[in-house]
Amino acid sequence: MSIRATDSATLAIQTRGLGKRFGRQWALAHCDLQVRPGEVLLLAGANGSGKTTLLRLIAGLYKPTQGSMTIYGMDPDQEKLACRRTLTLVGHDNYLYSQLTALEMLQVWTRLRGAELEKAQAIELLREVDLHDRRDYPVGGFSAGMRKRLTLLRTRLEEPRLVLLDEPFSALDAAGQNLIEDWIEGYRSAGKTVVLASHNLPRSSRLCDRAFLLQEGQILWQGTGEAILDQVGTTV
Amino acid sequence: MNLIGQALTVVRKDLLLEWRGKGRLISVLMFGVVTLLLFSFAVGPDSTLLRAAAGGFLVLALLLSSTLGLSESFRVEQEQRAIEGLLLLPVDPIALYYGKTLSNTLFLMLLAPVLTPVALILYSVQLDLKGLAVLLGLWTLAAAGLSAPGTLYAAMTSRLQSQDVLLPLLLFPLVIPVLMGAVKSITLILTGDPMSQVGSWAALLASFAIIYWSLCGLLFPHAIEEGI
Repeated sequence: MSIRATDSATLAIQTRGLGKRFGRQWALAHCDLQVRPGEVLLLAGANGSGKTTLLRLIAGLYKPTQGSMTIYGMDPDQEKLACRRTLTLVGHDNYLYSQLTALEMLQVWTRLRGAELEKAQAIELLREVDLHDRRDYPVGGFSAGMRKRLTLLRTRLEEPRLVLLDEPFSALDAAGQNLIEDWIEGYRSAGKTVVLASHNLPRSSRLCDRAFLLQEGQILWQGTGEAILDQVGTTV
Repeated sequence: MNLIGQALTVVRKDLLLEWRGKGRLISVLMFGVVTLLLFSFAVGPDSTLLRAAAGGFLVLALLLSSTLGLSESFRVEQEQRAIEGLLLLPVDPIALYYGKTLSNTLFLMLLAPVLTPVALILYSVQLDLKGLAVLLGLWTLAAAGLSAPGTLYAAMTSRLQSQDVLLPLLLFPLVIPVLMGAVKSITLILTGDPMSQVGSWAALLASFAIIYWSLCGLLFPHAIEEGI
């Protein structure tokens, strides 16, 4: 499983000694990670183990306190916008404006990326997440699951090479979870890289090629998806 | 998409949000009117004194209203961390800044059609159409001069619980040149300008607006480096 350091340009993600400190507390420390394009990677660990911090560091929302990182060979510090064109993150928050409709939210996101989204295309996208009937309703009236589904559409809208998902199954019903599972399989088939952090190990371990177990900001263990279930059971 | 296109998308989004939730505009307008009323009560019925202070009162009403409007403009961004969703897109933070600043300037400009007539009536000031047009121009410059640092500070303090206290504390000292320029020039318009001094005060106002727009635009990407 080891990847030579000289392959960094061909790796989707490479981190070297990456760490993030908040005040005196290290949320993540000495994280060395190498992810190949097309891989699906699972980050598991208890609350506060550093999963979200790692995802936010990769997404460029945090500046590392220590270490360095490349995304598809690019330095996020030097090529911030190019990196953001490459990846998308769907985190715990929904990134929505309560007073805008589902359709308007998709249009704002698309326009800011410099593209245009026809109404018919937007409706098709909303149909995928079963929100097409609610397209003209303000998202402030949506349930948590509906908001999550709308936000997850960003991964379809933006066509990124690297998809970062933080607890993608939370707040979703069984149908929603199955849909996200299908999407992740689709991303793998399309050669996209997926890094997901999840507490839903039975479902996410099936999907991943490799799994990492984090504890107190450090990588404690790494192995296959099946092996992580033996390592920690079904929930962390 | 270029910087201007992205900034205009942000303005469009903000105006739409403003239109949908008219509460912010109405409450800020009411706050401005109440402030003007309180100033007139504080001075009393002396119409000469009221007229002389009308420019200052009008600009203070704009300043106090602006802090409410500015902090509210980032509250909607923080509600479901929508601003983070924008920062994750390949959008230049400078475009985000100028989009937000422009929409905040437009918002403050909207106060003029209500606060100006109220002030003219309350403080017994008569103004011809030309004077009114100049006053609106000065108001626009003052709004631009307040919005630029106001947007930067509102973004920086938006995640803090003490935003309502911190924002005026940070903003007021910085905008003193804008306040001086606005008060002097608007007072001259309202009370008469025999020495033709309005032009130089307006130039001071415009200069500081340009300086703030340029400087704050450069600082904004650093201010939001760790997310806002």
